[in-house]
Order: sequence, then C-alpha cells, then structure tokens
Amino acid sequence: MTSEFAESHDELRAVARDLLGKAGSGVDWGHIADAGWIGLEIPEPLGGAGASFVESGLILEELGRAAATSRYLGAVLAVGALTALSPNASRDALLSDVGTGSVITALVTDSFRLERSADGVRLSGRAEFVPDAAGTDRVLVIADDDGVAVIVDACRLTVTEQPVLDQTRRLAVVAADGVELDEASVWQFDGDPAAAVQRLRDRAAVAVACDSLGLAEAMLAATVDYASVRHQFGRPIGSFQAVKHACADMLVHTSVARQLVGAAVSAVADGADASVATSMAKSYACGAAVDVVGKAMQLHGGIGYTWESGVHVYLKRAALNRSLFGSPASHRQRLAERYA
Amino acid sequence: MTYELPDEMAELDEFRAHVRRWCADHVPADWRALQTAATDDEFVAFQKAWFAELHSAGFAVPHWPRQWGGGMSVGEQIVLYQELAAHDAPRLVLAFVGIHHAASTLLVAGSDAQRRRHLPAILDGEIWVQGFSEPEAGSDLASLRTSARRDGEQFVVNGQKLWASGGMHADWCLLLARTDPDAPKRKGISYFMMDMTSPGIDVRPIRNAVGDSHFCEVFLNDVVIPAENLVGAENAGWQVAQATLGAERGMTMLELAERLGNAGFRWLVEECGRPRPDGSRPLDDSSVRDTLARFETEISGLRGLCRNVVEGHDTGAGGPADPSIVKLFYSELLQRITDFGADIGGLAAHTVLTKPMSSGWESGAWVLDFIGSWEWTIPGGASEIQRTIIGERGLGLPREPVSS
Repeated sequence: MTSEFAESHDELRAVARDLLGKAGSGVDWGHIADAGWIGLEIPEPLGGAGASFVESGLILEELGRAAATSRYLGAVLAVGALTALSPNASRDALLSDVGTGSVITALVTDSFRLERSADGVRLSGRAEFVPDAAGTDRVLVIADDDGVAVIVDACRLTVTEQPVLDQTRRLAVVAADGVELDEASVWQFDGDPAAAVQRLRDRAAVAVACDSLGLAEAMLAATVDYASVRHQFGRPIGSFQAVKHACADMLVHTSVARQLVGAAVSAVADGADASVATSMAKSYACGAAVDVVGKAMQLHGGIGYTWESGVHVYLKRAALNRSLFGSPASHRQRLAERYA
Repeated sequence: MTYELPDEMAELDEFRAHVRRWCADHVPADWRALQTAATDDEFVAFQKAWFAELHSAGFAVPHWPRQWGGGMSVGEQIVLYQELAAHDAPRLVLAFVGIHHAASTLLVAGSDAQRRRHLPAILDGEIWVQGFSEPEAGSDLASLRTSARRDGEQFVVNGQKLWASGGMHADWCLLLARTDPDAPKRKGISYFMMDMTSPGIDVRPIRNAVGDSHFCEVFLNDVVIPAENLVGAENAGWQVAQATLGAERGMTMLELAERLGNAGFRWLVEECGRPRPDGSRPLDDSSVRDTLARFETEISGLRGLCRNVVEGHDTGAGGPADPSIVKLFYSELLQRITDFGADIGGLAAHTVLTKPMSSGWESGAWVLDFIGSWEWTIPGGASEIQRTIIGERGLGLPREPVSS
C-alpha cells in the first residue's frame, strides 16, 4: 500500500483523538467538516484533500474508539458513491458541497428499481437500517436501471427513523413507491457498474469493521486501566492471572483484527476486488469486538454493568456493527464460495 | 507498515521469480513420500543434504550478516520464506538451533574467535542443541540447578538437561548452568558452548506423545568445558539468554504461517471435499464451510501479524509482546485446525500411522498433527506464560506478587 498521506497518519489520528475527546459522544457536524474529514476522498479540484479510503478508515476507527454519534458513516459511503461516478457538473457541485458539510448526504446500498415508461422514470424500493439517512438533504440510492446499476440522486423518498438499542447510531428506513425522477438525477458509474456496486458494499462493510476495531481497542484500554487501579484481596485485580490472561486474549484478538482491517482498507483504497479481504475483516473484527467488549464488561465487575459506566454503549454498538452490512456468518459464506 | 518504493518492489518481484525458478528445479517432488516412515539415519542424511542444497543457493542463512554468508534484506527474506512455503519445500529441522539460536547468540554476545570458530562450521553442517530446560526448571527456567564449578581455566559441569531437541545428533550444545549458587537466581547463571563429544555426557532420547524420539535427556557428569567456551561474562548468562531467546522467532513464525496458509489450508479443504462412506462430503455442510472460512480468515490475520513482527523488528517499531502474540495465536490456531482435521477425517484419519519427517507442523496426517500440536502450546514458553508476558509487557498490567 502506498499513500502520500502515510506520514501524516499519526497526525491525523492525534487530531481526531483530541477533537473527539473534547467533544464527548456527540460531535458537532461543523467541527467534522472544518477538520476536513468529509472531504478526505474528494478530489482536490473540488475542494477535497484527494486522499484515499485509508484516511477515511482512520477517522472511522477513531469515531468507533470514542463511540461517537456523527453523520460521518453516511457521508463517507455517499462520497464513495459520488467519486465512483462519471464526472459531470451536477455531481461535481454536489461533491463539493458535501465536502464542506453544507449538504448532508447518505447512501442506500440495497438496490432499488427504475421503471421507465412514456411518462418518465420512476423509482421504487425499500431499504432498512440505512445509516444517517434521516434528516439529510440528499439521499443517494443504488438502483437497477434495466440490468445496469446506477446511482440515483433521489428526492421525495420516505425516510423514517428506525430506533435501535444503540443510541449512538442513527438508522432509517428509506422507501420509494414509484417516485417520479428527473432523468438528470440518474447517474452512471465510471467503469463496470456491477463491480462498482460491489465495491460500495464492501466499502460499507469495511467502514463498520474500522469502527469495531476502534471501539474494541478503546474497551481493552479502559479495562487495562481499571484492572491496574481496582484492588481486591490487597492487590490490583490485573495482577491475577485470570484477569491478566483475559486481557492478553483481548490484545491478541484486536491485534489480529487490526491486521485484517488494515488489509481490507488497503484493498478498498486500491480499487481492486476487495471482496475476500472485506469478508475476512468484517467477520473477524466485528465478531471479535463483541467478544472484547463483553469481556470488558465482565472484567469491570458490577460497575461495568451499570448504565453510568458506559460499557453498555460500546457493547450495543459492537453488537449492532456485527449485524450491519452482513453478519459474520454471511461473510464467511461468501469466503466459502471459493472452496471447491 | 512499510511503504516500499517502486524500484524496491520491482527488485523483490525479480527475486521472487528467481526463488520460484530455484524451487521448481530443486524441491524434490517425492520428498514427502521418502520422508514418511523414514529411519533416523535417512532423516539426518536428508536434512543435511537439503541444508547443503539451500546453502549452495545462498538460502540457508539469509538472516545472518553479509560477512558471514547472509545479508538478505527483510523484504527478501519474507519473499524467500513465502516461496519455500508455497512450493512446500522441506523444513530445516536439524540445522534449526544452529542457524538461528546459536548464531544469534554468537553474533550478539560471542567473541570474534568464537564466531570464527563456529559460524563457518554451522554452514558446513555443524549441528547444535539447546540445553536450557531441566526437570525442575521448565517455565521457571531461571531456577535451573545444573552447576558449572570453575577450576582454573575450565568449568566442571554436573546436572541434567531435558527437552533437548535433536540432542542425539548434536555436535555442540548451548548450555545454561549455575556458576554462582549464592547469587539471586537470575544473577548466578552462565552461558556456555559445550562440545557434545566431551566425556561425561549421556544423551537419552525420550519418546514423545506422537511416538518420535527427538527430545532428549542429557545427563552431565563432571563434564569439562574450557573457559574460552563461556559466552558473554561469567554469571551474565541469563541476560545473554534473554537477549537471544526470541531473536529467531519472527522469520521462523512467518515461514510457519505461510506454510499453514498454503499447503496446510489446501489439505484441510481437500480433506473436507473427500466423500464420507455414505457419499456425502463435509464440504457441503454449511457449518463445515463456516469453520473453514473462519480458519482461512485467522490464518490471513496470522500472516499479517508475522509480516508486521519481522518488519517491526527491522525498523524498531515492534511492540514488546509482539513475538508472544504471534507464538500464542499460531500455537492455538494450529491446535484448533489440526483438531478440526482430525474430526473431519473421522476414523479413516486414525489409520494414518506415520507422518512425513522434515515437514511443517500440519502434514495432513491430522490425528498425529493434532497430538503434535501440543509441541507448540507447551515448549518455548507455554501458552500460559505467553499470556502473562502479553499482559505484563504488552499491556503493562501489574506483575504477580513474587513469592520468595
């Protein structure tokens, strides 16, 4: 993996931790836009940084570490869709506005349908659990246009918030029942449409894996801190092998997850087929994160089970991440298709 | 993470093509068959011949400094071991302690004279064994009791060593012995090179759970070691051992992970594709496919960890517990994979009574591989010890109160 931004990764990470640390769980959208995070992958002529998914992945990981509420996931997925399109004036204008944070977007990765008739183009479909779709200015939808995948910049969709136990994420049901479209809002992919759609879905899965990696590492760090200061039987509980060895296993799992997520992020950023690396990273990191956070709750003892400790916030987010954009079992099923 | 410049990548591609051609020409096609049920003499002869073959290609000691016959970059070593694994080349078993542990000890703590005496000899086939563990000093190695009493310009050694792998074939032994019985236990140990032809050495093979006898007990009865064979300062042996104990691990682990990811996983999928007596295939069972995908994913993560360790070691960016993380994860993954192979292989797997010598830790003889996997979770710091190291050095958790 090569990136001209490699040297600035540490700095980007440090800035992100600082900003998210100060913000607490809710991050102001203006701060995220001002930090340039939305525009990381937007080409420089359109006001972005011209970086890659590697850099977005780093921010996603930090948002997970902070269990932050933001619209960043929705925005990153939408930017991925827009940068995959053949350039045109209205797309460029939208990308530019998205980068500054003045237009808020989200992406529906499930496929809707276009129906063409004498009186125009209509869009139909329904998707659940769409990240950050509620309260946006524009929702982008992947649609099937007579066998060819396209991106639709849709208006008049029905967007209904979908409450989930994890209070740090905003999910929504997006529906269209024969919504009339302007032909100009149907955008073509640059290159093979089917491959582009696959890349967008892989990208979404890897984005969530980044989040799970960050939140697992945060809970490991919190557990190590707690086990080092909490005393029972006259010594820190972290000096007991049962606790120490459990923490060691948490580190092993997050270390393996970091390798797999890093490989998947690189594969997505390189623009080649990332399906194998994606399924490995998504299934492992999101599964391991639930185990790690569950162990964090256990090792925090009674205090870890309280609402106030906040461990439950991470556990709910980890469990939601595991189910978003493909369960571990479904990703492993995709891997297993390669076994003869 | 390393960022390779384009010309370095092109050079590595060229080197990879070179290793591939060499493997195609030199890896004996029938070695697995020849090494299955081989006698001890056949095993030793084969190991020595394969070592000489690798040496003539410049592949035997790539990690040594150039002046002693090595000098490959870490990038080249990674490519070399990836390709040897991908071509299912035989493993260097007999030469292992010599080219890794003895060499790294001499390079870190040995004198010039010691290096000149032994490094070229190792390339000529000198075999080494490690004499560390004892009956009462396993995980707690520092409590070892074998004594070396100074007598002028020589030491007289008495005691018993255990788990000395390959001891009956060794020319030299890396020996830890207590030279100051009154000092605290880590401050009274010295590090020696012991000539295995010295009078007073009795080597007795121990049959292990798999049925092999490569582990040995070594009884030492008034064995004389010249003082010139002391490595490092007298009573500083524990520190020498600490500095060199894990030195070889990174690239070795990378090779084993690559083997697991190449032939190892392929054999497992093949095993699952073999029809059972009723005609059904395990591979058509969704839970089997799920488990295979889980293993493939974990192997992929392991390979990434290993690359990370060797590159981190090279650039100084590695974490203090990285080698332990790799050793622990590999050992337990190997055990789970071979267990699964044995389960899937069913009763038929129990009729495979021998596995090829000189192979990796997974050979497709699943039941033997499974039993043999404890040779990874127990020696070299048992999994419990690794978890303690990871907790204390990797995470900074408080140590256990020391009992005096």
